[in-house]
Amino acid sequence: MVSPLRRSVCVISVLTLLSSTGCAGSALSGSSGADTGAPLKIGVVVPLTGPIGQAGTALRRGFELGVAKVNDAGGIGGKKVEYVVVDDAGDPANSTQLARRLVQQDKVSVLFGTITGDTAEAVGKVSDDNKIPFLTAILGDPEQCRPYQWGFGESTRQLLTPMLPQLLQKYGNRVAVVGSDYNYPRLYAGLAKELTQAGGGTVVAEEYSPIGQTDWQPVIARLKAADPDVLLSMVVGADAIAFSQQAQQFGLLTPELGFEGAPLDADYHPALSALTTGRHHAVRWADGMTDPASRQFVSDYRSTHQWNAPIPEVAGNAYFGIQFVLAAAAKAGNDPAAINREIGSLKFDSPLGTGTHFASNNHILQAEMFDATISPDGYTVTAKFGPVADTVARKGC
Amino acid sequence: MDVLLAILSQFGLFGLLTVGIAIVFAALRVVNLAHCDFAMLGAYAAATLTGMPFGWRVVAVLATTIPLLVLVERLLRRSFADGLGALLVTWGVGMALRQIAEVTFGATPRAVAAPISGSVAVFGAQGPAYRLVCSLVAVTVVGLVLVVAYRTRWGLTLRAVADNPAMAGLLGTDPNRLRTTAFVAGGLLAVLAGALYSPTLAVSPSTGFSLLVPTFFALLFSRPGSLATAALAALGVSALAVLLRTWLSDVVADALFYVVVIGIAAARSRPTIRRLVTWSRRFAVRSA
Repeated sequence: MVSPLRRSVCVISVLTLLSSTGCAGSALSGSSGADTGAPLKIGVVVPLTGPIGQAGTALRRGFELGVAKVNDAGGIGGKKVEYVVVDDAGDPANSTQLARRLVQQDKVSVLFGTITGDTAEAVGKVSDDNKIPFLTAILGDPEQCRPYQWGFGESTRQLLTPMLPQLLQKYGNRVAVVGSDYNYPRLYAGLAKELTQAGGGTVVAEEYSPIGQTDWQPVIARLKAADPDVLLSMVVGADAIAFSQQAQQFGLLTPELGFEGAPLDADYHPALSALTTGRHHAVRWADGMTDPASRQFVSDYRSTHQWNAPIPEVAGNAYFGIQFVLAAAAKAGNDPAAINREIGSLKFDSPLGTGTHFASNNHILQAEMFDATISPDGYTVTAKFGPVADTVARKGC
Repeated sequence: MDVLLAILSQFGLFGLLTVGIAIVFAALRVVNLAHCDFAMLGAYAAATLTGMPFGWRVVAVLATTIPLLVLVERLLRRSFADGLGALLVTWGVGMALRQIAEVTFGATPRAVAAPISGSVAVFGAQGPAYRLVCSLVAVTVVGLVLVVAYRTRWGLTLRAVADNPAMAGLLGTDPNRLRTTAFVAGGLLAVLAGALYSPTLAVSPSTGFSLLVPTFFALLFSRPGSLATAALAALGVSALAVLLRTWLSDVVADALFYVVVIGIAAARSRPTIRRLVTWSRRFAVRSA
C-alpha cells in the first residue's frame, strides 16, 4: 500500500529537480545573408520555450528585423551580418553552456539576448571571461556592472523617476509595493521607497510572494489593510495575472488606486487589458509611437509574424538596440574588444532618443522615456518624459 | 471569517484535485503525475471557448476530455506491472500535455472573466461572489463523490479493489473496467477543478503543474483507497497553507509550509507513530 507512494516521493523529487534545473535547453540555428569573407557573427541566447518563451520570441523577432534592416542597407563593411539563435529555455545553466558554445565553436563576435536576470548574469560571466560584448534588451538592472555587458532596457531608476511623482500627485502619498520573491522586485522596491520618500510619500506596505502562487487573498488582505493610494507591482509571469485579477475581485484594484508596474507591460495586455485600460505606463518604447522608424518596425513586425496584439517593448528595444550595436561594429570592425570600446563611446539617434549613449560608470543606456496610455487596442504615447538619466555608479565598471 | 472563506476556497480546489488523484491511486496503484495537467485542459477550455456561456464551457470540456482520459488509461495499462514505469508514463503524459498547450496556445498566460461579478458579504466578511460560488460548487462535488464512494455499489467495488485487487477479481469484479472508470472519474474531477477555478488563476501551460505539489502532499497524508481521508488531507493542507500565510509573510509561510509537511511525513514514518495511528484507527472503528 505505502510503497508506491514512497517510490513516488523519490521519483517526483528527481523529476522535479530535473525539470527545474532545465534539461530542456536546445540550440536552433538561424542566419541571414550571404557569406563573403568574414562577416560579423552574432550569437543570440533567448528563451524560446518555457514560461517566458513569449518574451524571448518577441526579442528574437525584434532582433531579426533589426539585422534584416541593416542587411537590406548593405550590411556591415559590405558583408551581411550573420547570427546564430540558441534557446536557453530561461535556465541559467543552459545559458552558460550555450554562450560558451557560441563563443568557442561558432566564433561569434557579439552576444545578444536573455530575458531574466539570472540568465543575463550567466551570459555576462561568459562574455567577460572571453572579452566578447554582450547586450540585453529587457528592462531592469544587472546585479553587477561588467566591462563587456550593456543593457538597452530602461533601468529601474529610469522607470520610476518620471512616473512615481505623477502617481503621488494624482492619487496620494501612501504607496504599497508587491512583488514576486526574487532579487529584482526587492531592488525595485528599494528604489521605490527612496523615490517615494523623496517625493514626500510613505511606503505603507511591502509584500513578496514566491513565484507560482495561486491564491493571493492573504497578500491582498494585508495590502488592503494598509490602505494605499498607489500600488507598485513587480509580480511577474503568470502570477501577475492571477494577482491583478484577484486584486480586482477583492476590491483592492479600483480606479481610485494608482497602479504601475509589470502587469501593465504589453506582454500582459491580452489578459489584463480590461483591468489596465486607461492607466498610464512608463515605457522606453511602445508600439503606439508615431515616428516613422517605429511605424515601419510595427508594420514589419505585424506583417511578418501575423501579430495583432500589442508588440512587447522588449521587441522594440531589441530592434533599435541591435542597430546601435551594428553601428558600433561598422566603425570598429569584427574585433570584439574594438566593438566593445565603440559601444561605450557611440552616440546613436533612434526613436529611443537623440544621441543615446551608455554611461561609462554603469553601462546603462541614457535614453528617453515616454508616458503611454493603455487602451483596448494597445499603447498610445500621450506624453514625453524626455531623456531620463541614470548615472549612478555601479561596482564593476 | 475571511480566513474561513479562504480555506473553503482552497479546499474546493485541492479537494477536487486530491480526491480525483486518490480515486486513480485507489484503482490503479499509480500516482498520476499528469493529474493536475488535466486541470490545465479545463482552464484552457474556459479561456478559449468564449463563444459559449461559462457553464456550457465546463460541460463541453468535461465531455470532450473523456476519450483522452480513456486513451491515457489504456496507455498506462501496458505498464501496470511496473509501478515505476507507469509513474514515468504519467510524467511523460503531463509533459506532452504542457508542450501541446504551449504550441497551441502560446506561453503567454491568459485570463478568464468571472461569470459572476461583484462581491458578497458572508457574516460580515466581504469577498468576490464568484469565488464563493465556485468554492461551494467544488465542495458539493467533493461531498457527492464521497457519497458515491461510501453509499453505492460502485464505491464499494472501488474500495474492494483498492484493498485487495486479486480478491475483488476472484469475486467477479472486472478490474480493467473499474480502472478505466476510476481513471476517467478522477481525471474529470481535475478538469472540473481547472475550469471552475480558471477565473481566479492565470491560465498557462504550467497552470496545472503548479498545483501538483500541494495535491501530492495531500495524497501522501491520506490512507490509500480511502477517499474520505484524501478529502480530509486536502482540507488540512489548505488550512495549513492559508493560516500560515495569514499569520506570516508569504515568503516565511511558504518555507514553513514545506517544513511542517515534510516534518509530518517524516513523523508518520516512525514506527511508534505508525503504531499509534493504527491503534487509534481501531479504537475509532470500535467506538463507531
